[in-house]
Amino acid sequence: MGVRGMYDQELSRLKDDIFSMGEAVVEAFQEALHLLKHRDKEKMNEMVSRDATINKRELEIHDRATLMIARQQPVATDLRTTIVALKISSDLERVGDLAVDMVKATMRLNEEDYQIEIHELESMADVAVKMLNEALTAYQKQDLMRAQHIALLDDKVDKKYAQYIKELFTSSDKNNIGQATQLAFIGRYIERIADYATNLAEWIVYERNGKHFDLN
Amino acid sequence: MLANTKNAPAVENSPAQNKEAVNKKNVYKVEQLNLWYGKDQALINVNMDIPENEVTAIIGPSGCGKSTFIKTLNRMTEMIPIVKTNGSIYYRNENIFNKKYQVEYLRTKVGMVFQKPNPFPKSIYENVVYGPKIHGIKDKKVLDEVVEKSLKGAALWDEVKDRLKENAMGLSGGQQQRLCIARCLAIEPDVILMDEPTSALDPISTLKIEELVQDLKKDYSIVIVTHNMQQAGRISDKTAFFLNGEVIEYDDTATIFSSPQDKRTEDYISGRFG
Repeated sequence: MGVRGMYDQELSRLKDDIFSMGEAVVEAFQEALHLLKHRDKEKMNEMVSRDATINKRELEIHDRATLMIARQQPVATDLRTTIVALKISSDLERVGDLAVDMVKATMRLNEEDYQIEIHELESMADVAVKMLNEALTAYQKQDLMRAQHIALLDDKVDKKYAQYIKELFTSSDKNNIGQATQLAFIGRYIERIADYATNLAEWIVYERNGKHFDLN
Repeated sequence: MLANTKNAPAVENSPAQNKEAVNKKNVYKVEQLNLWYGKDQALINVNMDIPENEVTAIIGPSGCGKSTFIKTLNRMTEMIPIVKTNGSIYYRNENIFNKKYQVEYLRTKVGMVFQKPNPFPKSIYENVVYGPKIHGIKDKKVLDEVVEKSLKGAALWDEVKDRLKENAMGLSGGQQQRLCIARCLAIEPDVILMDEPTSALDPISTLKIEELVQDLKKDYSIVIVTHNMQQAGRISDKTAFFLNGEVIEYDDTATIFSSPQDKRTEDYISGRFG
């Protein structure tokens, strides 16, 4: 073990925990998509209450990172790793919240059959899921190329979102305006999730080379 | 009057130095400095500009040449017979290695504070006036003014003003170190060199010295050697990392402690070697 072996271990454990929190968040997002298609009320309630565990993990990561700053006084890469851990865990927690918002919007659709096509929404969400997974892998492997690629995927999501909203407005009428509104919200949440995935990529770049890049 | 005289013209900056230095005067410009103790080379091609009214920290593991470096800045190393140097050190535009250069002048302009407080076994008052007296000041009124101003400058006046005639050895370690700083201020220096000035002090005394350094930089240029990385991060504007006699990296302290360019600097400041 090197001079700061214990500290290195703590840093690597912090990163592992963020990765695993990220996996839980991606799972929550995928579940929200599944529930959008197969509207199971019981499972929706379960999913909403499960968000508390993600929030708790974020706070645990914050407490540990704070303690590491106080006790180890990290500098340079160590400092950036710790700061990025704080930022990424917060962004992941927000993604978890948005997945819950999606489920709540789905709940407001009641049992109504879809009168508006949700295929575009699903395809947009697929890209967002890919972005999150890519961001987590880039974080774990410190892969800057992968992180920068995420920005391209975000452009794709933004285009799909703009297209979807346009279609919603043209295909909705007074009979389905309530459903269209909730779907517009869901579209917006997915678009925001993709933005958070891009934020993650920006933090990964910062952690690696200490420079801020706006990938959005 | 004890006003600080800083009327030397600006030293031109080398483009290799940082961008801020363009608008800053430098007190020192060190060029291609090499130093040997006998056959052992302790400093290798050191190039550094030391800015005016800033705190420059020198960090690095034991034996890397940092103390040797600051001792060359007031030519103290030449008191060791086996020392050999080449290269140039310009203090206010004049090469201090010039044969005609007056080392006495240099040492009145460049004061030094050492690791262990080393007051003279005399009264507090006598410690402070020692330098000015050597320089021929005899007027009691002037000396009293020097004592008050220097002790105030070293943030010690309030603690000792009622016992100036007492022996300095009765002061605490932290107070003794501030007395040494006051003694240094009494000769109206331009630059203060500090060689690990807090390493023998407790945390509270250390913080007092650190705060004092921040105050002093308004009027003086300070070069401080420290083993305490957090201290360098807290109090300095620029930091130089020395390793095996070479300057590995010299930059704004904020850059050194957030994004150092050299892996060896990063490893050292994050405690991975040294």
